[in-house]
Amino acid sequence: MSASDRDTAHPMQDHVHMRKPKPRPTPEELRARKEATRQRVSGSVETITVSMGPQHPSMHGVFQAVLDLDGEVIVNTDARIGNLHRGVEKLAEYRTYHQFIPVTDRLDYISSFAMNHGYCEAVEKLMGVHVPRRARYIRTIAHELCRLSNHILWLGVHIMDFGAQTFFLICFRDREYILDLFEMLCGARLTHSYARIGGVAKDLPEGWEHKCREVVDFLPKRLDEYQRLITQNRIFLKRSVGIGIFTVEDLHTWRVTGPCLRAAGVPRDLRKDEPYAAYDEVEFEVAVEYNSDVYDRFLVRMKEMYESCNIIRQCLDNLPDGEFLAEDAAHVLPLKKNVMRDAAAMVQDFVHVFRGPQVPKGEVYRAVEAPKGEFGVYISSDGGPKPQRLHLATPSFFHGQAVPALFEGEMLADSVGIFGSADIVLGDSDR
Amino acid sequence: MSLKDIIKKSAFVEILQGMSVTGKYFVGDKVTVEYPKEKIVPYPRFRGMHALLTDPATGVLNCCGCHLCETICPSQCIYIDTSEVDNHKSIDRFDIDLSRCIFCGFCEEVCPCAAIVMTKVYELATYDKSEFYLTKETLVANQVNAHKETVRR
Ligand code: SF4
Ligand code: SF4
Repeated sequence: MSASDRDTAHPMQDHVHMRKPKPRPTPEELRARKEATRQRVSGSVETITVSMGPQHPSMHGVFQAVLDLDGEVIVNTDARIGNLHRGVEKLAEYRTYHQFIPVTDRLDYISSFAMNHGYCEAVEKLMGVHVPRRARYIRTIAHELCRLSNHILWLGVHIMDFGAQTFFLICFRDREYILDLFEMLCGARLTHSYARIGGVAKDLPEGWEHKCREVVDFLPKRLDEYQRLITQNRIFLKRSVGIGIFTVEDLHTWRVTGPCLRAAGVPRDLRKDEPYAAYDEVEFEVAVEYNSDVYDRFLVRMKEMYESCNIIRQCLDNLPDGEFLAEDAAHVLPLKKNVMRDAAAMVQDFVHVFRGPQVPKGEVYRAVEAPKGEFGVYISSDGGPKPQRLHLATPSFFHGQAVPALFEGEMLADSVGIFGSADIVLGDSDR
Repeated sequence: MSLKDIIKKSAFVEILQGMSVTGKYFVGDKVTVEYPKEKIVPYPRFRGMHALLTDPATGVLNCCGCHLCETICPSQCIYIDTSEVDNHKSIDRFDIDLSRCIFCGFCEEVCPCAAIVMTKVYELATYDKSEFYLTKETLVANQVNAHKETVRR
């Protein structure tokens, strides 16, 4: 099947610009389309084996794919992960619940606040800590900023995989505004460590709200500009429409979540389905597309960015006053300003550092919608100050294991784009 | 293929569209900083290299030798030795191994005496790894770089 065949075969070709509503394929149609775009290989031909990665620039980290090729078609893929394995789950068993927060930064280092947040939500569920309303709003804002920065970075790298070098720099310029906001907020640009058990580490600094509002006001304009550059770009369309189709069953089989799942028409979003933080108090729409190819994954992420700006704006409008950290002597590390003035808080500080929080026995599982997909934390506690066992279900790991199925029957040249559309960060996957 | 498509394909509409965006920024403001010549000033909460604060009046170290920072540190890179000198704790050793520090700021957060703080120093590259090992003297000397906001508190 040549490229021009594919153009005419694909029903979306004429109205990708979203002027008309796109047709929604039924699951059967999607399956048939997947069959049609994946090129059959004759079993008799000898294959050659090519190793891509772990140092390949488009592998987004230290991911190695050993590809068996029949001509230009990928027959078989051996996905090798683990080059960035640091034993994070074991580390957790030697750290108190509080000390583990900075380690979660290093999971998905592109969106570290989302990781902090997911972990803290799980610990709060275990300890039964009530998070103040203001803290929940601040967390929502930070989480959405994280989603914006993750998607902008993803977009730049993804488009660079298709050959547009300049666009990468444009995206980095705009991501910088968000990183600045984070630096003002918590003092670090990448590894935030901002969420705490029972709230957030620091209150919003002076002038931050105004600055944040400015950023979320002009970012949509920048996003429009991206759309002008990419959404109708012929090269991008040729390389993304109808490529890497994955049916809903496949997605469920491989536990693919997040934007990739929503691009197949499944409106699964934990922010709506199991609201955490302040997501039940803001209005937003779950971005859904229906064709489940590389292009639709791009559209879903684009829409999500607009929605994120929208959510942040609502949160800033309704930001309540009050505490940003729960007052819960048994579970929460006290604030520094209290420690220096109040003897009880000082004692609490010493007890927390030297003995750790009081934790009930039990098991919890809590998942949040991280920018890349569902991030689940499972904690098994034996009542001690450190988790007995902590397991992390990170989205990139599951997306990584779907890579062989995604690649099968696709062209070698498309593999880079398909891999990019799955949005994998190896720190998240290898842990 | 309709006439519209042919015009579109031969006139490279996308390229013109893309170039219009490029052109707009070609004449616009510069967003980059020429780094070694111009330096970026970090925000007041920035977590850079540590410092130990002393009392400005007496010059005595604020630190009371409670070992809280040493205990909370997730990467265990603070080393403190104390001894008792006439009912007073004296800090014999206060070292931080920056090559292991992850700049989480927990040490600053738990300190009950406002002794250890994070400063705005972010240029930490050296030719020699031993320079990452900060001793008490270096940390005290670094207090000039502390954020004004933290010192006031
Ligand atoms: S910043 Fe964190 S890692 Fe570094 S010395 Fe302080 S507590 Fe330890
Ligand atoms: S926590 Fe503060 S007072 Fe205690 S040992 Fe560390 S620097 Fe000194």
